Amino acid sequence: MNIRPTPEQAAFREEVRAFIREWLPQEIRERLHRGHAPRKQDTVAWQRILHERGWAAPHWPKEYGGAGLGIAERLILLEELQRGCAPVPLAFNVTMLGTVLLRYGTQAQKEFFLPRLAGLDLWFCQGFSEPGAGSDLASLRTRAVRDGDHYVVDGQKIWTTMAHEADWIFALVRTEQAARKQDGISFLLIDMKSPGVTVRPIVSIDGQHHLNEVFFDGVRVPVANLVGEEGRGWDCAKYLLASERTGIASIGLCWERLAYAQELAASLQQGAGTLAQDAKLGAEMAVLGAEIRALEVTNWRFLLDTEIARRNPGFASVLKLKGSELQQSLSSLIARLAGPAGLERRDAEGAEAQHPLAASAARYFFYRATSIYGGSSEVQRDILAKTLLG
Amino acid sequence: MDFELSDDQQQLAQSLDRVLREHCSFEKRRAIAATEAGWSEALWGHLAELGVTALGIPEAQCGLGGGAVDRLPVLQAFGAVQLLEPYLASCVLGATAVQAAGSPAQQEALLPAVAEGRARLAWAHEEAATRHAPLWVQTRARREGKGWRLTGTKSLVLGAAAATHWVVSARIEGEADSQQGLALFLVQPDASDALLRSYRLVDDTLAGELILDDVQAEALGDATDSACAAAAIRAVQAAGTAAACADMVGAMESAFALTTAYVNTRKQFGRAIGEYQAVRHRSADMAVALEMARSMAIAAASAADDPDAPGAALELARAKLVVGRHARALCEAAIQSHGGIGMTEEYAVGHCLRRVHVQDHLFGDVDAQAARLARLARPISVD
Repeated sequence: MNIRPTPEQAAFREEVRAFIREWLPQEIRERLHRGHAPRKQDTVAWQRILHERGWAAPHWPKEYGGAGLGIAERLILLEELQRGCAPVPLAFNVTMLGTVLLRYGTQAQKEFFLPRLAGLDLWFCQGFSEPGAGSDLASLRTRAVRDGDHYVVDGQKIWTTMAHEADWIFALVRTEQAARKQDGISFLLIDMKSPGVTVRPIVSIDGQHHLNEVFFDGVRVPVANLVGEEGRGWDCAKYLLASERTGIASIGLCWERLAYAQELAASLQQGAGTLAQDAKLGAEMAVLGAEIRALEVTNWRFLLDTEIARRNPGFASVLKLKGSELQQSLSSLIARLAGPAGLERRDAEGAEAQHPLAASAARYFFYRATSIYGGSSEVQRDILAKTLLG
Repeated sequence: MDFELSDDQQQLAQSLDRVLREHCSFEKRRAIAATEAGWSEALWGHLAELGVTALGIPEAQCGLGGGAVDRLPVLQAFGAVQLLEPYLASCVLGATAVQAAGSPAQQEALLPAVAEGRARLAWAHEEAATRHAPLWVQTRARREGKGWRLTGTKSLVLGAAAATHWVVSARIEGEADSQQGLALFLVQPDASDALLRSYRLVDDTLAGELILDDVQAEALGDATDSACAAAAIRAVQAAGTAAACADMVGAMESAFALTTAYVNTRKQFGRAIGEYQAVRHRSADMAVALEMARSMAIAAASAADDPDAPGAALELARAKLVVGRHARALCEAAIQSHGGIGMTEEYAVGHCLRRVHVQDHLFGDVDAQAARLARLARPISVD
């Protein structure tokens, strides 16, 4: 048993840090450090820089433009990107769709899409959730009916992040009414410019527009854009959800947010001193630091050691539950540190976005979503309990 | 990085498991607790035979070598059965102090005997006013001829009545909290007129208060080397912190296993209570707590093996905080899931909470660790 990184791992971490220091545009770094979400242009610009270095798709094989990194290096890269306030490679493209295409895609699909996913020439969004299918995803009702060498898609998706800026959507659609609701689902790639696709914004409680509804009204999709077998889309979906595990705990993000909270505490005045002298806040930050460290070690234990993962089939749920809890605690702490000065409503763009507290409340509000998306905490507890109690 | 036990560790863990099942079942432990001594020499002999008392003691002194990482599965097993024998006191705390501060002759005289279980040490450092300040010592030492005389009161001396030697911290000079003037001493229980008030802790662990009134003592190592004494105290604290983390994880594992078995058998309103979502979700939260604690017990053991490395103090404080926090939460939840039966002395689950309550308070409880970390004030990862 040895908890220390190998010299190679330590050297790789240093290499990633140095790369970020040298290449990450200052404006992006500062924006993310203040707590703003990366804008589309931030993610595109940075992912292209990463792609030049060969790191845009860490787990893909090199022949498809990936970095071919092992699990430890992938985790280090991700931790350091988050910690260094660099946008992570677009998850929809790289960890989700890319992973599915590598396993289930046709040769033509791989050759066309993978390079465009890694280089962010195409921005994909994820069409899974529907008004009647949230945590119970397999209840989805968007239909796709075969018509010659096309499918005709009708229905609605919801909570679609960045659909308003996306070029394509990968969607789960029902191609057959089967006895088991997981059967008869297919995985389709749909061009957002297709006639019959409508995007309607949903403004979330942070006052911003990240989320959308996407409507399909007789949208014609070439059969060539079916991924995997017709009716077996649930396999793709499960495989995709499992692929999110590496990043699920968001350790680097948690460390970065804690560092930001400490910076804020040291700079914000309270009476004659600063908030850094407040014993109660100090203890709260100490607890958070300890809990992040515990999740960090747990993440490494589960991801590095297949034997430990095998004995803990619910491990991804452990990481998701704890990771979302910590992200919420940190965003809440930062909003409380900001205090009354963080109450003024400020724009997330332009000069107002430069204010050090501009994002504190918005981020707190938006991070309530971490325990809802990607399988709500209730669903995670159900999964975990099933592995424990049957 | 790797997180698996070595083959040697696994073999030892299996043998230990057999011994504990045979000699330290819940009923047998209760019988031991009810004896006047409060611990079993027979069980102690079995542990020594297995060699666990030799873990962490150098091979040159008849030990098995290794350190906190090697003791981790052993201490977890002891926590799981809430062992009453003075393993923590002698093989972890006492042995660490003698290794860190003892002269070569003292190490040669004591460590082989400790490794073989013939000698048992007790660590007499805590004082009533200490309240988790690691170097707080008011017991005074004065020189008399070649020896020393100690005056003061030591509280919470684990395994005091079972010990053949007490390792006592005292100061020759300096303020209560300073490093200056600190020294360590050996006191022989039978050859001195120290007064021992022996008692049991709330988890049945044997402990005592040592009242020293100008009691004869031998310096452990060089009494004038206060830096060495302070380093030894810190090493003992580090080893003890890691041990308490491992022990609490063991108690958590027991409480968790009892709970999952119980909720799947206990029926109410016609169904196993483990079918109700409120109970299921609590079990899920317990599993999360257990994994966090397991991780930090590993981190603590690793840090205790290199206590002067940068970041070791931070890691240990974080570990004790996380494990203490989650151990308490898990054991409380375990009792809640059991309902009334969980409240009874004759059922095992409540004993897990008692154990955790005691271990949390050793070497600084959750609140003390949070305060310590706030003072370190750089809660950033240290890889």
